[in-house]
Amino acid sequence: MPVCGLTYRECEKLKDLKHFIFFEDLLMEAHNKLIKQAQEEGRICVAYTCENTPEPLLNLPGAFSARLRAPRTGSMDIATYYLTSFLCEYSRALLERAIEGGYNFADCIITPDGCSMMNRCVENMELLKTLGKDKEKFFYEYMEIPMKSDQNGLNLYVLQCKNHILQPLHDNYGLDISDEAIRKAVAEHNRVCELIRAIGEFRRGPRPTITGYEFHVITLATYAAPKYLLIDKLEETLEELKVREPDEQSDYRARVVVVGSEIDDIDFIKLVEDSGAYVCADRFCYGSFPGRDPIVLNDDEDALTQICRQYMQRGQCPRYMNTEKMLSRRQYVAELAKEYEADGIIYEQMKFCDPWAYEKMLGSHILRNDYGYPVLAVDRPYSIGTSGQMRTRVQAFVESIEIKKIQGGAANG
Amino acid sequence: MAKEIGADRLGDFYKAGSRVRKRREWRGVKDTMYDYSRWLKIMMTLGKFVMKPRNVKAMLRYRWMANYLAVPMMVDRHTQGLRGEYLRMCHVEQDLIIDDVAKLLDNLFRGDRRTGNDTEFSKKVVLVDENEMTAVMMGFPQLKCLSRETPSTYVSVLLNQHAAEHYLDVAQEFGLAGDVCPMPAAEAGVSIDDDAPVLGACAIQCNTTCDGSLLGNGVISKRLELEDGVPVFQLAAPLRHREDDVQEYAAQEIRNAIAFVEKHTGVQWDWKEYFECAKRVNYATKCRQEWLDMNRTDYPQVFGSNLALYTETNYMAICGRVADFEKADRKLSKLANQAFAAKKRAAKEYRHRAIIWGVQSHYYMDFLVWLLNCWGIVPLTDMLSMVSTKMIAEEDTPENREQAYYDMAWLTENMIMRNRTHGGYRVLLDELWDFTQQFNADMVILWEHMSCKALTGMHGMFEDRARELGIHLVWVGHDLFDPRIISRQGVRDQINNYMRTVMREEPIDPSLEVLPDEESW
Repeated sequence: MPVCGLTYRECEKLKDLKHFIFFEDLLMEAHNKLIKQAQEEGRICVAYTCENTPEPLLNLPGAFSARLRAPRTGSMDIATYYLTSFLCEYSRALLERAIEGGYNFADCIITPDGCSMMNRCVENMELLKTLGKDKEKFFYEYMEIPMKSDQNGLNLYVLQCKNHILQPLHDNYGLDISDEAIRKAVAEHNRVCELIRAIGEFRRGPRPTITGYEFHVITLATYAAPKYLLIDKLEETLEELKVREPDEQSDYRARVVVVGSEIDDIDFIKLVEDSGAYVCADRFCYGSFPGRDPIVLNDDEDALTQICRQYMQRGQCPRYMNTEKMLSRRQYVAELAKEYEADGIIYEQMKFCDPWAYEKMLGSHILRNDYGYPVLAVDRPYSIGTSGQMRTRVQAFVESIEIKKIQGGAANG
Repeated sequence: MAKEIGADRLGDFYKAGSRVRKRREWRGVKDTMYDYSRWLKIMMTLGKFVMKPRNVKAMLRYRWMANYLAVPMMVDRHTQGLRGEYLRMCHVEQDLIIDDVAKLLDNLFRGDRRTGNDTEFSKKVVLVDENEMTAVMMGFPQLKCLSRETPSTYVSVLLNQHAAEHYLDVAQEFGLAGDVCPMPAAEAGVSIDDDAPVLGACAIQCNTTCDGSLLGNGVISKRLELEDGVPVFQLAAPLRHREDDVQEYAAQEIRNAIAFVEKHTGVQWDWKEYFECAKRVNYATKCRQEWLDMNRTDYPQVFGSNLALYTETNYMAICGRVADFEKADRKLSKLANQAFAAKKRAAKEYRHRAIIWGVQSHYYMDFLVWLLNCWGIVPLTDMLSMVSTKMIAEEDTPENREQAYYDMAWLTENMIMRNRTHGGYRVLLDELWDFTQQFNADMVILWEHMSCKALTGMHGMFEDRARELGIHLVWVGHDLFDPRIISRQGVRDQINNYMRTVMREEPIDPSLEVLPDEESW
C-alpha cells in the first residue's frame, strides 16, 4: 500500500479523463448503448469471440463487430451443467449470458475453432437456440483458421474468410463485400488502431500520463462497441493526454507487462495496479498488442489476402504450432518488455485454458531464464473481483522485483 | 475352475495389495493349453528383447521401461473369462501388438544416442507423435517411423496404471496447470525429465486430438529441435474435417510433410509401396466394417477391448505399413465368422447392448471386459473404433497419385479420437444417436474424461438427447492417465451404482463388483 494508506488508484493524482466514465459505462453491459445506437442507425451487429477473426471483415459498410463479453457475471450454473466445471469460465460465462438472452442483440455470430472450449460454447448456444430470437436472417458460422504461419495457412485463411464471413454476410444481409468495401473497413479499423497506439504511447517513461487500467478500459471498449462511434471520443482523449500532467512521483513500485489468455474483466488490471505494479504493456486477447496494430494495405494485392496475411503473421495465439511462431511469441514478449521498460512480466492464464496453460509454463521459464526477466505465472478465474489471493501474489512479486533491484538483479543471484 | 464360460468367480483371482492375480484361470484343457502357449510366446518375446545389451542399458536408463515387466499381466487382464474363439481373437491381436511394441522399443534403443547409438540407423528414423496417423509414412518403406511417446507413456499406462504419475508430477512441478489432459501432460513430463530416447533424422508432429495435445508438442519440440538438433515438421490437420473447404489445405500439409522427410533423410517417396499400404488400409477397413455389421446383430463377435485396442493400433499406428496386421485381420475375420455361424457368445448372459462413447480410461483399458463379465453389458463398439470407413485409392495411376494426398490427409484428419473430438457437434453428438439405432443399443456408456474439453463441452447436450430418446446414459468419469484422481474402483462404482439404483439389477458375477486392484498392474 502507498504511504497515504489508500489504494494506488485512490491516491492517484492524475486528473480524470473527460470520457473515462463513458468508456467504463460501455463495458458494464454486453448490449451497450453504442450497440443500440448503431443498430438503430440500421447497421447489423456481427458478434464474435476470438481474436483470430479478422475484425475489419466484420465491420464492412452496414455492419459493426462486437466481441462477446459477459460483464458482471454471477452464477454460471446452467452453463456449468451444459459445459461442466472443467471448461474455462469465459466460455461458461458467455453461454450463461446467452441462455439468459443477453446476446439477442446480435444479428449473427462468427467463430473460428480457435480452441475446443470456445467452439463448444458457441455450439451449445446454437443447439440451445439461445441467439437470434425474432431474427430471421440470424446465422452461426464456424471457420477453420490456420495453425501455422505459411503460404498454405494463408490460402486457407482467405478461403475460410470468404466462405464463412464475407459470403454469409452478403447472402443474408446484402452487405457489399467488394475489395473497395473491405478497404474502407480497414481504413476505419486503422484509425481506431492508430488512436489506441497513440494513447498507449503515454504508458512509456518513468512518469506515464495514463494508467494501465485506463488504457485497458479504453482498448476494451474498441472491441465491445462499434468502432465508428468511438473515434471522436478517442480523439478527444488523445488530445487530453497530450496535456495531462503526470504525477510528480509515481506510487507504482514496478512496471510489468501482462501476457496471456483473454482478459475482458477490467478488475484484473485494476487489481494488479492496486498491488503496486504499473501495467505498461498488454499482450493478451482483448489487449492492444498485437490486436490494435494497424493493417497496412498496398494496391498490388487484394485487401482480403493482405488482411489475412497480417493477422496470421502477427498472431500471438498459442494455437500457432510451428517452431518459428512459438519462438517468436516469447521474443515478442521480451521485445515489448524492453521497449516499455518493464521490470517484470506477469503470465496469466484463465483456469482450464489448455493453450495458455502450456504457453504460460514455457513462456515463464524462457522469459526468466533466457531473457532475464522476473516472471510471475498465475491462473485466474474469469471475474477476478477483489481476490485477496491474487493481490498477495502480485504484491509479493512486486516486492521480489524490488529486492532484486536492491541486490543488483539476476547477476547477483 | 471350469471350462464353461461364466462358471468362475473372476473377482476371486484378485489379491489385495498384489500387482498380479493369485493364479492363472482354468479354461478347460484345450483353452488353458492354448492360453499357456501364448503366455510362453510372450515370455520369449520379452526374453529375446532383454538379451540385447543395449536394451538392458535402456531398462536402467529410462524409468518407464520398468513397466514392461507387466506385459503378461496386461494380456491376462484382457482375456479374463474368455474361451474359444474370443480367447484366440484376443491373443491374435494382443500378441501381435506386443510384438510390434517390442520391435518399436528395440529400434528406438538401437538408434538412441544414449544406448545403442547406431548413427547410420538413426539417419533412417523419422519420429512421429504417439497419437498421429502414420499415413504420411506409407510411401517410405526404407525409413523407420518410430514413436517415442507410444512406449514411454501410452503403452506404459496400459501396462501399469500408475506409470504416468511421475511424469505428471514433473510437468506440474515445472509449472503446467493440473487441469489439462494428462496424456500430453505426461508426454511433456517425459520431455522435461529428458527421459525419451534421442534419435532420428527428423520428426513429424501433428495437432492430434485436442488443444492440449497440440500445445504439448511445443514442449517436446523445444527439446527435440533446439537441444537435440532433430528438425521437426508440424503437420497441421484441419479441425473441421468434414468440410470440403479445408481439404486442399490438408492435402498440401501432406505434400509439405513428405517433402520435409525427403529433404532430411534423402529418401524419395515410393508410390508403389504407398499403394500396397493403401490396399492393406482398405482391407482393414473392410474387415472392421464386417465386424461392426456382426455387432449389429444378436451375436457380436469382435467387440469390447478386442475391437478397441486393435483398431487403435491397426488403424492409426500401423496404417497399412505392416503386412502382419493384414494376416491378423484375416485370422480375426475367420474366427469371428466361425463363432458367428455357431451363434456363440462371449459371456454367459447378455443383458444390455451398449455403445461406449468418449475417451476411454487408459489406466483401466480392460474395463470393457469387466462390463461384460460383471453386468452383462455388451460393449458393441466404442468411439475410437468408429473411424473412417472410406475406401482410399489403391491403384497406381496418375490421377490416384494426386488423390492419394487427399486420402492421406483424410486419414490424418480422421485419426482416432480427433475424428470425433474435432469437426463440430455433429460427429460427436448427433452420430452417437445414429449409432445407437444402427446397433440397436439400449444403453450408452459415456466415458467422461474430465480434462477433455471437447467431450465435457457437450455434457449437457448428451444428457438432454438421451432423455429425449429414452436411452440409458451412464456417465463414467475418469482422468485418463491418472488413477489418483478417480481410481479403477471409482470407475466401477459409477456403473455399479447405476445398475443397482436405476436399473435395479444384480451383477452376473458379484465377485467383480468391488475389486482390490488399487496396486494391481
